[in-house]
Amino acid sequence: MNRTLVSVLLAAAVAVLLGGCSTQATYVDPAGTRTLSNVGEINVQDWNMASEAMVNSLIAKHINSGNLKGSGPEGRAVMAISRIVNNTSIQIDTDMLVKKIRVSLLGTGKVVADITAGLGGPEDPLAAEAKREQQFLGTQKVAARPDYTLSGKIIENRTRQGNRTESTYVFQMALATRDGLAVWEEEKTITKQARRSAVGW
Amino acid sequence: MKSPLVLVRTLASAILMVALGTGCETVNTTETAQPAFQRNMVAEKRVITDSSLARRVQVQGVNVSEGPGGFLKVQAEVLNTTRSYQRFAYKWEWFDKDGNLVEGPSSVAVTRQVEGKESLFIQGVAPNVSVRDFRLKLYENAR
Repeated sequence: MNRTLVSVLLAAAVAVLLGGCSTQATYVDPAGTRTLSNVGEINVQDWNMASEAMVNSLIAKHINSGNLKGSGPEGRAVMAISRIVNNTSIQIDTDMLVKKIRVSLLGTGKVVADITAGLGGPEDPLAAEAKREQQFLGTQKVAARPDYTLSGKIIENRTRQGNRTESTYVFQMALATRDGLAVWEEEKTITKQARRSAVGW
Repeated sequence: MKSPLVLVRTLASAILMVALGTGCETVNTTETAQPAFQRNMVAEKRVITDSSLARRVQVQGVNVSEGPGGFLKVQAEVLNTTRSYQRFAYKWEWFDKDGNLVEGPSSVAVTRQVEGKESLFIQGVAPNVSVRDFRLKLYENAR
């Protein structure tokens, strides 16, 4: 066997060995059906479905019915985010839900978000400072309070029967006016089941 | 050691229980003969690449309405033509008057489940008032 052939075979063997050790990641569409899901967590698909249900309901029941009244630019409603309570056993970032809703509502052209008002302090401190300055100087008419506030809660329920486990995540949201009246409320329940593996790994 | 007769009886009982437990479960539906509503049905064009899904989960009709706010609202009736439980996913795509896709974070695949012979309605609301047209996609590989 000549030396070239041996070198080629050796290189191929090394490539196969190295290739076998690495795990190749593949990209999937986060808005599609190929994302991973499990019972113990709120997965990307769950956040997507919850936000889709909330946005559809809010548009259909409140915005499309012509009930939305606003004091913002071009008559848009000014909305601020209130408390979103996490009553699940897992640590979650509620912006996985709230940000999607905010982006969708902004996209309707009927709502603007006030990012200077918030329970834990303003989301954008510089914008809050600029707003205070304008209010103090009276250079521009700035709404002191948002027209609407969005609040919500995420609840979890787990159960097990035989070798099947089930998790239910309940997403609840409400939109309240300045008077504290809830003018829109919605609840989306997502239930997932899985069969526990007979082998423990 | 158990006798062969006992083993056969146990096996037969187990098979019968499995057959009864996982048998076809269909849905019986009752509705008014003369509905009080009239749907604005739209003519559709269908592109079917997955004939297996199209046989099992069929779109019966699509109707469109528009609220005072100007947002397009679409409703599709989907029928499970089989006698067994089916899973599928759907996704709405929205287009403006020029045919441009209007995207948003809520344009996502939504998983649904339907019992045998059951029909259900899936609804979509346009993301803004510029939307004039839509497309409904059905996926089979839903979990």
